[in-house]
Amino acid sequence: MPESSEATVTLAGDLHARPAGSLAIAAAKFAASVQLSAGGNWADAKSVLSVMGIGATCGQIVTVRATGPDADEAVAALIEILVEATKVGA
Amino acid sequence: MSDSARVGIVLVSHSAALAAGTAELADQVSGGTVAIVPAGGTDDGRLGTSIDKVRDALGMADSGAGVVILPDLGSSVLTVRALLADGEELPEPVAIADAPFVEGAVAATIAAAVGGDVKAVTAAAEEARHARKL
Repeated sequence: MPESSEATVTLAGDLHARPAGSLAIAAAKFAASVQLSAGGNWADAKSVLSVMGIGATCGQIVTVRATGPDADEAVAALIEILVEATKVGA
Repeated sequence: MSDSARVGIVLVSHSAALAAGTAELADQVSGGTVAIVPAGGTDDGRLGTSIDKVRDALGMADSGAGVVILPDLGSSVLTVRALLADGEELPEPVAIADAPFVEGAVAATIAAAVGGDVKAVTAAAEEARHARKL
């Protein structure tokens, strides 16, 4: 039975290209499949263009969902990037 | 996902500014861990492509894992194909990605940054054709 995990974060800034790249690079390190959603659009977190395509902006709630053996770690790592990389001035 | 050599990327454009700007953007998005080498414009700085620039860029981009080349339009493809058909010594393996230039460069660079091989990096660039931006 694969482990699954989910968490949300409210963005302090827009999800720009650079944090999208950081998210995709981080997600690739996990065996779990990882998705992000904002405003009803889901993206494969391992695809930088998919992440950019959800167009997540400041104030939106982003959900991170993972399924696989390291789902908890994947969600924790991506939430941390979402918090850090969208801080105002980051 | 290892410390071994990463695949390099060569961006071939008719415009030196376009190739350089796209390389700069892809470098920023990927955190500067991949060799992304622009090969834009003619040898005398006009709009066009240069087989010598592409050859030099291939050498600079390769660190042992091979290189993926992204051409922008038309004769960029012809120039790359002419070079590959020349039979001269080039990095191995080399692949041409059939992909949108900016999106393909960004996707390819992320794939290279996470340790993808030439096949995976080429596939990432080509998948960019289906990525919606709106």
